[in-house]
Amino acid sequence: MDSSDAALVARVLHGEVNAYSALVSRYRDKYARYAVHMLGNREDAEEALQDAFTRAYRSLARCEDPERFGAWLFRILVNRCRTSGARRVRRGQTFVHDETALLNASEEHPAEQTMWREEIERALGELSADQREAFLLKYVEELGYDEMAEITGVGVSALKMRVMRACDRLRVLLREVHSA
Amino acid sequence: MVQELQRPVRVDDSFDRRVMVRVRRIYAERRHRGIVGWLAAAANVTRRPAWAAALAAGVVAVVSLSVLKKSPSTVPANGQAIPVQFVLVAPDAHSVAVVGDFNNWGLNDTALVAENHDGVWSVSAPVHTGVHRYAFLVNGKQWVADPTAPRAADDDFGQPSSALVVEASTQ
Repeated sequence: MDSSDAALVARVLHGEVNAYSALVSRYRDKYARYAVHMLGNREDAEEALQDAFTRAYRSLARCEDPERFGAWLFRILVNRCRTSGARRVRRGQTFVHDETALLNASEEHPAEQTMWREEIERALGELSADQREAFLLKYVEELGYDEMAEITGVGVSALKMRVMRACDRLRVLLREVHSA
Repeated sequence: MVQELQRPVRVDDSFDRRVMVRVRRIYAERRHRGIVGWLAAAANVTRRPAWAAALAAGVVAVVSLSVLKKSPSTVPANGQAIPVQFVLVAPDAHSVAVVGDFNNWGLNDTALVAENHDGVWSVSAPVHTGVHRYAFLVNGKQWVADPTAPRAADDDFGQPSSALVVEASTQ
């Protein structure tokens, strides 16, 4: 049976609701990475991801190109992370660096590597939300600037500026860690 | 640094179950409202932009002849459904149906007929008193709001529909 995104979307739209679980399995880990790095803690990240999947299901008929369901879902997630991030700022909640680092930790990695990962997450948390979003999309998700502009609704020039400033800031923050 | 950030983040299996619980709940709600079939029709619509353009041209013709459509009839005070005539002018259509909450959004339940093969499609359907939402389904794939009736507020699917108010007779 055809398991392409388009085929699964078509099956869901024709009432085969369980076909949606295949799409959830296909994209959950990939997009969890972005949500966790963007929001800094597992709870908010999973909530944002769940919400993105639910919203996507509700609006599935509006997915104009089912072949690119993943890209469409990712755009929903990016927007959802923005909303969640803004809400967290209003709540005065801080970026939980350690938890994010621990998510990726495993027994086979030495303590130094875990510490280094913590520092990376800590530095990431020091960036503004706009800069963090641009940096993650560019270097972690490896999107082109045109794709980034399409997803974020921000102009390419502004995105380049955000990425550049994010890189500069991260360089300074991580250099401080090494020199300490 | 980037390599570290690109390491996969695993979500436990209960995540899938939680999402699917939400999804099935939405599905059940929609099924209760009888609009699952509309989802399929919407999918066909979004994949056929040429269709939309052709239909848009058809709708222009509808407006000019919409006087043929009768206003919703009133019903006796006992609430018994009485016929309401629906009319759509769609010269290029092969089939037209009216779908609404009064027929549980049944895609094939209330077909319109073009008796004179002149593109004027009509049907009389029983509707109870109250506020209803409906649309026309053309060729089983494309739905449009009735151009002669007020538009209903958008639902979750962004598809056009019309509002119909059927009042009890005051006489």
